Amino acid sequence: MSVDRLPTYSVAELNTAIGSLLERGFAPRFLLEATVSRPQLKKGHLWLTLTDGAASISGVVWASKLAQLSYKPEDGDGVTVVGKLNFWAARASLTVQALDIRPSLSTVLRDFERVRQLLEEQGVIDPSRQRRLPSQPSTIAVLTSVPSSALADMLRTAAERWPLTQLIVVPIPVQGAVASKILSTLKGLAERSVDLGIQALVLARGGGSREDLAVFDDEALCRVLARYPVPVVTGLGHEDDLTVADLVADHRAATPTAAIVALLPDRDAARQGLVQRQSRLRDALLGRILRERQRLQDRAFVLQQQSPLERIRRHRQELAQKQLLLQALSPERWLKRGLALVSNASGDAIPDLQSVKIGDQLSIRMSDGTLDARVDQIQRSSPKTTS
Amino acid sequence: MSKRQPSKELRDRMERWRSDAAGLNYEEAMQALDLLLAELQNDSVPLAELQQQVLHGEVYLSRCQSLLDNVEQSIVELDPTTLEPTNNA
Repeated sequence: MSVDRLPTYSVAELNTAIGSLLERGFAPRFLLEATVSRPQLKKGHLWLTLTDGAASISGVVWASKLAQLSYKPEDGDGVTVVGKLNFWAARASLTVQALDIRPSLSTVLRDFERVRQLLEEQGVIDPSRQRRLPSQPSTIAVLTSVPSSALADMLRTAAERWPLTQLIVVPIPVQGAVASKILSTLKGLAERSVDLGIQALVLARGGGSREDLAVFDDEALCRVLARYPVPVVTGLGHEDDLTVADLVADHRAATPTAAIVALLPDRDAARQGLVQRQSRLRDALLGRILRERQRLQDRAFVLQQQSPLERIRRHRQELAQKQLLLQALSPERWLKRGLALVSNASGDAIPDLQSVKIGDQLSIRMSDGTLDARVDQIQRSSPKTTS
Repeated sequence: MSKRQPSKELRDRMERWRSDAAGLNYEEAMQALDLLLAELQNDSVPLAELQQQVLHGEVYLSRCQSLLDNVEQSIVELDPTTLEPTNNA
């Protein structure tokens, strides 16, 4: 290659050419996964080094963008940066300009654990503090992003399930600088909950990554939720996602739709309840008439028992029974079986020989007549010996 | 057997019940119905008033059914900053 074919630059020209090449040849936006090192605020801008251990590059978040970020990276945080390259021709310096910085999953989970542990230690997270949800709330507040598929799903479910409940929808940003906005909306709504008649609060966000739910691990936000004036139901992300907000809520639903299902009664079940009441109402009339008829019959019976004819009949029956009893006990029965009744001349019964003397006149009564007899001889039985 | 028409007095009374029930929400109408059912089932209603009480219960029942079948959900959207209703709802 000949030397005069080589391009020749001044330093400024070289730097400009590199800048131009980068501008044309490099992606205008890209995602960069890195660990933050030595973040420093200078004149409102956040300067930091982005590294993966083996390589590093400097980065900056301009002050205007920094104000919009809900998350402020700290030294050692794993992050995902939405960035673009900034090349300063004067010093040929290359910097990643961060348009957005989100914590990586490991950072989000580390924060979740930290806040959870803190709030558990302080008793803010305590399952025994969970309140019962109202059974048929007349008004509920739904905090979610508007418009969103999560809201559409919730509105559809509410309309199918229980249209009698008024829904107060309060839009909240769920991405970007949100924690302070949600906090402020939550506080304002809490103050007006009585005026607005709100009986429960739904905090919902549709699916997305766990990192997108990091705002619901915000300590201040979770403290407000924990002492909210009305029961709180969370429906955040997917079924497997767990945030600190879920832990301080009175009920954690797996999804936004499940939050509405947990809070609103089922119209079909209510219809069934009405059908049952309708039949109870009809049975009440028929049942009462039957019961009254039975009462009437009972009284008629009692009355009949007190009539003079019935009393005479009962007396007759008693007499007949006593007659039978007398007959059963009468001595005639013994006479018919061959036994006899012995009496003296005075007519007194002689049960043994003690009062009998030779020459006494006795009367012996049998079943069909009486014998008159005189005692000629007395033979006493020898006393029985006991062995 | 022809069904006896309710007397004018009873018709007027039912009209009054319907008008009163129209002012009740679902929970209130349901509560009134349950109260009336409890009275009917413990035989505390005089026999002469039985039929009327059942008709009164049917008015509450009908109010509940109508609310379940015909109510459209009320949705209000509030501005997250002012908490005043927006025009989107």
